[in-house]
Amino acid sequence: MHSILVVDDSATMRRMVIASLRLLPNIHCSEASTGLEAIERLALAPVDLLILDLNMPDMHGIEVLQFVRRHERYQALPVLVLTTRGDHESRAMMLAAGASQYITKPFTPQLLAAEVSMLLDG
Amino acid sequence: MITGVAESNDGMFAEFLDDFFAECEEHLTSIRRTLLALEPSIAQPRLSRDLLNELFRGFHSLKGLAGMVGVAEVEQLAHHLESYLRALQQEQLRLTAEGFDALIVGTQLLEQLVVARRTHAALPPTEPALARLAALVTELAPPLAPTTISAASSSASVAPFSSEEQAKLAAASTRGDQVWLVTFIPTPELAKRDINVNNIRGRLQQIGALISAAPRILSAGGVAFDFVVASHTDETTFAAWQQDGLTYAPYQPVAPAHTILEISPPLAPAMMIAPSNVVRVDLSRLDELMQLVGALVVSRSRLTDQLAALEPLVPVAEWRVLQETTLALERQLRDLRTGVMRVRMVPISDLFARMQFVVRDLARDLHKQITLDLHGQDTEIDKFVVERMLDPLLHLIRNAVSHGLETPEQRLACGKPSAGVIKLRATTTGDLVTINIEDDGRGIDPQQIESRARALGLLAGDALLDPAQILHVLCAPGFSTREQADHISGRGVGMDVVAKTVRELGGTLMLETQAGSGTRFTVQLPLTLAIMDALIVQAGGQTFAVPLPVVREVIRIQPERISVIEQNELLLYRGQPLPLIRLARRFGLVETTQDAGFAFIIGSGRTTVGVAVERFLGKREIVVRPLNDPLTHVAGIAAATELGDGSVVLILDTPALMRSI
Repeated sequence: MHSILVVDDSATMRRMVIASLRLLPNIHCSEASTGLEAIERLALAPVDLLILDLNMPDMHGIEVLQFVRRHERYQALPVLVLTTRGDHESRAMMLAAGASQYITKPFTPQLLAAEVSMLLDG
Repeated sequence: MITGVAESNDGMFAEFLDDFFAECEEHLTSIRRTLLALEPSIAQPRLSRDLLNELFRGFHSLKGLAGMVGVAEVEQLAHHLESYLRALQQEQLRLTAEGFDALIVGTQLLEQLVVARRTHAALPPTEPALARLAALVTELAPPLAPTTISAASSSASVAPFSSEEQAKLAAASTRGDQVWLVTFIPTPELAKRDINVNNIRGRLQQIGALISAAPRILSAGGVAFDFVVASHTDETTFAAWQQDGLTYAPYQPVAPAHTILEISPPLAPAMMIAPSNVVRVDLSRLDELMQLVGALVVSRSRLTDQLAALEPLVPVAEWRVLQETTLALERQLRDLRTGVMRVRMVPISDLFARMQFVVRDLARDLHKQITLDLHGQDTEIDKFVVERMLDPLLHLIRNAVSHGLETPEQRLACGKPSAGVIKLRATTTGDLVTINIEDDGRGIDPQQIESRARALGLLAGDALLDPAQILHVLCAPGFSTREQADHISGRGVGMDVVAKTVRELGGTLMLETQAGSGTRFTVQLPLTLAIMDALIVQAGGQTFAVPLPVVREVIRIQPERISVIEQNELLLYRGQPLPLIRLARRFGLVETTQDAGFAFIIGSGRTTVGVAVERFLGKREIVVRPLNDPLTHVAGIAAATELGDGSVVLILDTPALMRSI
């Protein structure tokens, strides 16, 4: 069983992500609606993968990513960043900040599931 | 017509369309609120980064969601709005009146697109708005290289503050607030008790202004959250929270020497939005819940009647115990009812924010200067009532702007300030919500109304109209004082629909007007529709229920206080003669007693009337069952209810009774 934390301030978007991940076997998803909540959940229970939105109130996705990468325990945690078409954070910039993969919304459920599957196997 | 549905996702996420529409509504509400907060900053050199970020995020979220569900027009328009905001955020552009207007128009168009898509209507054209937004950013140099993102909080101490945060600190010290550093360390035990970082942040926002919130890695490997909060509460509040994993200390600003190397502000300064501890619930589920509570109310009332019949057969001691239990049940049921009702309540502020939008637009279109004065935005009102009242209130506001207020020149000529004032006020008294829409314009000219009413054959006789009659004429279907409905006031609903909606919601509409100095409409609505307290009365051998909130007083009629003028009875009440309606006669029933009986007083001011009945049977909690069949519609009857004994009782339509005079 793989445990995935889905972080997005939009409840609808979280549900779409989780619906896409149903294409994969043995996945358990938890959700966080803010960056602070995501960090708290990580601290309380380890996960196998983080799916991270960028534009969120209180803590930008990049700040969450930077924080996670500074913490020894999460340096190897795969982080898949979801951006929206037209975001000015470039792919290179996100990868430099420590993202493992980078997908632009709108995405298809198949694409997300395939990328997640690769990150979990890798 | 369902044009513009991109099939790129093969409808993969089409099942989320309803969620999308609901979330759009939330974002649009927040966008409208933020835009209004931003309006005073037009042409100012510095804009609030918090507001810009919030606005940007609203459009950005809409764009992302619209893309996922394949609503291309919304995605594209939100993208253009977002581009303009980015230019503002990066201070490449200054917010101009033209730019602000493009944001407003764009937001309204977004809403129209969402509504059209939801109702499968034709989508309005987006090209003009897109072109306008594109023109705003077109003169820009190519976008700057993306701003590098500064390191967030250092792992050892609280992060230095951005200029925005420093401004908040300064504001707090001006208010005389004490600034605290509150640290929360989450644990699994606390999480089980539902004590988590969102919950703690919510608590801190309740007691003061949150200045920053940041995570920190502990040396042992765990995580702590540091909140800096400015508050006027003393430390006993925090002390009580220590058992919830909080530590606190007066905040010591980081010495400037330590911060010099990290002064570049983060890309997205910490924005403190209320944590989303909010659950979205379909209104129909709340209706079901309310109906269940309603059924309980009826059963309990039946239980009370049955117990009363048993009283003589039960020993006193046992009876008392039984009595205490039913009283407790009654209290709990009332609490349950209040609780369910509260779930349905929303603050009226969102409705008011829409009015601000409309007024702004109309002022521009009609070249009028208007100050909108809002009061009581925290007043809560049933969600269903709010939705039904949206169009009627818009109509009243449009009327106030287009018919009520004069142009600046006309105002100056009558010695008034050039800017007209529209006051929008909401208050709660008991079980009633009152909404006032008041303007200081030219008032309604009774003669003008009269001549038009006569021309339309709506009026016979030649008495001068009083405000209640003016209102009655204004609300007659097909009446409009403009020869042709102009595009402002003539859109959507008319006064007849306003009156009808208010009546259907069990409310009352009143008018006060003074030629030359203004008009005030007052809408009174019951807080909730489903269950209410009622006075049970008897007249002509029939039982009726009267909504208790509208009853001002209950009196015993003294025959010597009744006088008859032209077959109408007048009752001397507190030194004033009041029209007296005999309920039995009103419904063609035979009065069962010759006694003068009792009366209840309803209405206010010039619409006050006394209603004579034979007996009062008591006060009851009743569940309102609407009478939907038009064939059973009787003037003066609003709905029906079932009493504990299973008998069906009609609920009086008190506004109709008042009008019948």
